[in-house]
Amino acid sequence: MTEQASVIHVANLSKTYFVPEREAGLGAAIKSLFKRKLKEVKAVEKISFEVRAGEVVGFLGPNGAGKTTTLKMLSGLLYPTGGAGTVLGFTPSKREKDFLRQITLVMGNRNQLQWDIPALDSFELFRAIYGIPQAQFKQTRDEFIELLELKDLVKKPVRNLSLGERMKMEIVGALLHRPKVLFLDEPTIGLDVTMQKRIRTFIAEYNRRYGATVLLTSHYMADVEALCKRVVVIHHGQILHDGDLSGLVEKFSAHKTLGVTVDDGVDLSGYGEVMSKEGSRVILRVLKAETSRVAARLLAEQAVSDLTIEDAPIEDVIERVFASGAPPEPAL
Amino acid sequence: MRLIRLALLYFRVGALNELQYRVNFFVQLFQSLVALVVGLVGQALVFSHTPDLNGWTRPELLAVMGVHILMGGLINAIIQPNMQRLLGDIQEGTFDYALTKPADAQVLASIREFRVWQIVDVAMGLIVVAVAAFQLQRAISLWQAAAFLFVLLLGWAMLYSVWLMVTATAFWIIRVEQIVNLFEGIYATGRWPVSVYPDWLRSSLTFIVPVAFAVTVPAEAITGRLTLPTLLGALALAVVMLALARWVWRRGLRAYSGASA
Amino acid sequence: MKNLLDFYRTNMKTSFLGTLQYPVAQYFYMIGMMAEPVIYLVVWSTVARAQGGSVGGYTPGAFAAYYIVWTLVRNINIVFTPYGWEWLIRQGQLAALLMRPLHPIHQFISGFAAEKFFVIALWLPLAAFLSFVFKPELHPSLLQMAVFAVAIWGAYLIRTMLLWILGMIGFWTTRVSAIFELYFALELLLSGRLVPLALMPMWVQQTAAYLPFKWAFQFPIEVLVGQMPPGQLFAGLGIQLLWIVVSTALMQVVWRMGIRQFTAVGG
Repeated sequence: MTEQASVIHVANLSKTYFVPEREAGLGAAIKSLFKRKLKEVKAVEKISFEVRAGEVVGFLGPNGAGKTTTLKMLSGLLYPTGGAGTVLGFTPSKREKDFLRQITLVMGNRNQLQWDIPALDSFELFRAIYGIPQAQFKQTRDEFIELLELKDLVKKPVRNLSLGERMKMEIVGALLHRPKVLFLDEPTIGLDVTMQKRIRTFIAEYNRRYGATVLLTSHYMADVEALCKRVVVIHHGQILHDGDLSGLVEKFSAHKTLGVTVDDGVDLSGYGEVMSKEGSRVILRVLKAETSRVAARLLAEQAVSDLTIEDAPIEDVIERVFASGAPPEPAL
Repeated sequence: MRLIRLALLYFRVGALNELQYRVNFFVQLFQSLVALVVGLVGQALVFSHTPDLNGWTRPELLAVMGVHILMGGLINAIIQPNMQRLLGDIQEGTFDYALTKPADAQVLASIREFRVWQIVDVAMGLIVVAVAAFQLQRAISLWQAAAFLFVLLLGWAMLYSVWLMVTATAFWIIRVEQIVNLFEGIYATGRWPVSVYPDWLRSSLTFIVPVAFAVTVPAEAITGRLTLPTLLGALALAVVMLALARWVWRRGLRAYSGASA
Repeated sequence: MKNLLDFYRTNMKTSFLGTLQYPVAQYFYMIGMMAEPVIYLVVWSTVARAQGGSVGGYTPGAFAAYYIVWTLVRNINIVFTPYGWEWLIRQGQLAALLMRPLHPIHQFISGFAAEKFFVIALWLPLAAFLSFVFKPELHPSLLQMAVFAVAIWGAYLIRTMLLWILGMIGFWTTRVSAIFELYFALELLLSGRLVPLALMPMWVQQTAAYLPFKWAFQFPIEVLVGQMPPGQLFAGLGIQLLWIVVSTALMQVVWRMGIRQFTAVGG
């Protein structure tokens, strides 16, 4: 079985910004007109990874981590300062027409659709811009409209749609030309839970039907959990983890949670960190290495009617990864 | 009066805010100079073909231009930004914040914004007027200077009233932004003395949008053409317009509060 | 190429439909804009009358004709404003436009062009009113009208390119308004917008002949209201074509530099 070729190939990609430092005062302002003092900001530092065709990869990281910068470099909007990245064999920054026809970039709350006219007319425009053959265009368009249940909404001017409906339209518009690579930057930001689900399902369906490669950034764990088998964690412009979501928990979580059902009022703080206490159910957090020992003690010393052992919730893991700043020591 | 102190406070805040951006001063100065040069070129062109325009000599026209710039600076410093903000507030419903403050809403809405760098135009206008007066070789008596300032104030009050009335229609009809486009065009007519225009235009410029009173009449004070009847007429018109504006405002407020209830 | 034509057709239809939704705003804008030429017209007619009927070869009737046609040309001249670039960049629209396999300028050329048809329809009653008041002397031949119909689009293209180039300055500096204002001031004086260039001093006229401004403004007006022989009419179209080519080439050069700058620092 031949190994699937990598669609996206990134090697030591870097992006460094030079930000002018401005000081207060008229004298400094005039001086700055002639000579600018620049501060170096490393947005992305020598990252490397490969993505194969059909993969759905999630980029996780706090604000300013470098996820959007990476996506912009791979879609051609940003010129890298170091390293190399290729997408579908193209160098993105060259912005060749054949490259642009095969990709799409969706950025959360920035719209591409015309405001005053029905979305249907904007779709017509996209057809003309991308040169989509009529038959294929009609088929794709109708397919997407049905998938997202937009039939009644496509004829209304976009400005009359709600935020969620508008986002659905944006996504349809972005995929009409059946791109092979999707760059989705915070696609569900600002939407309610139901809408987020609909969009996730749609993306998953598109990926299934067309075998497209998807790079997705998000704040929302739910996005990543639902869509991505593979997660790349970026922080301070560097990759902290690249692999399975569960592997992430394995690597960074030093704790496990114990759910204990005991009699009311029993104080379990001697066994571990009490995370929550609701009636007779107590959630404890213990170091991974201590898990079996604490569990054994609990069972021996307390009247335990129920005991569960779980991984720390992913949100906690992520939060701790980011809150710590520098990459933490992988847990044993 | 408390209101005056409030106004001064807003001016101070507005000024301090913008003084941070000292570069804006140079930008504004540059733009004003460019506009001035274009205006002077225009006048020079006219006078390369004729010694006077409808009885107005070159220095007299220079005085008109100076007042136009000066008044323009006053409009852009205070009237325009406040009216624009008022319009925005009414349309977005944020005007409520102004209504819940313990100060007269009209005064508040009229002094909240202050674009300090527009003062450049005021200064430039005054310089041009001074140059014109010098060229006319007239000694400007204290009396004339006072009359000049007085009529200037009256003209400003009239323009303010018109702006306020038009903006206040937003209380009833939401979409009036386009009126602003009209205003700029109409004010541009004040560059030249009103007597240049055909009669039908002249009366609307004098009474409907009192550009004549705001620009030509103060210029007349400098060039010595100002007569007592004109001055009294300006005073009367200013009082009437302020009263009318106030009345329109009160009606508008009633409509507004009723609407959002 | 067929793709491009298809896009133009589609976008023009879309734009036209979009612009039909705001007739009132459009009208107010046009009326406000009339103030400028009316002022010039009145002032110069006064000068002409004082000088015994004409000045610089223009009678009040000729001035009226010049400035009324001026209003049409001025409207056709309205293209994507350089101030719009700041908005494009900040709203992320530029990034979206860069993702398309189509030069962004095509959207603006086709979009604004479509609007002009609506503008012309709105303009006719205003022109009729102005003609009634100011009584222009206007007797164009069929040839003049045909050349005019071509020349206004030439003017449109030249100004589109020039303002596109001007707007791109925003990639390199944020202090753009001063530069823009300077440009517009020069354009005002050298294009025939303030006064017909014949009234300007000789050295200004000679300078203006070598600059594109006149060909984007005064030339179409002169075609219709002046008395140019056919040879001059076609020669003028030729020079317009030359300026279209030059400005387009310059635009492409600056565009490439601009995009390199934009992608270096991000949007």
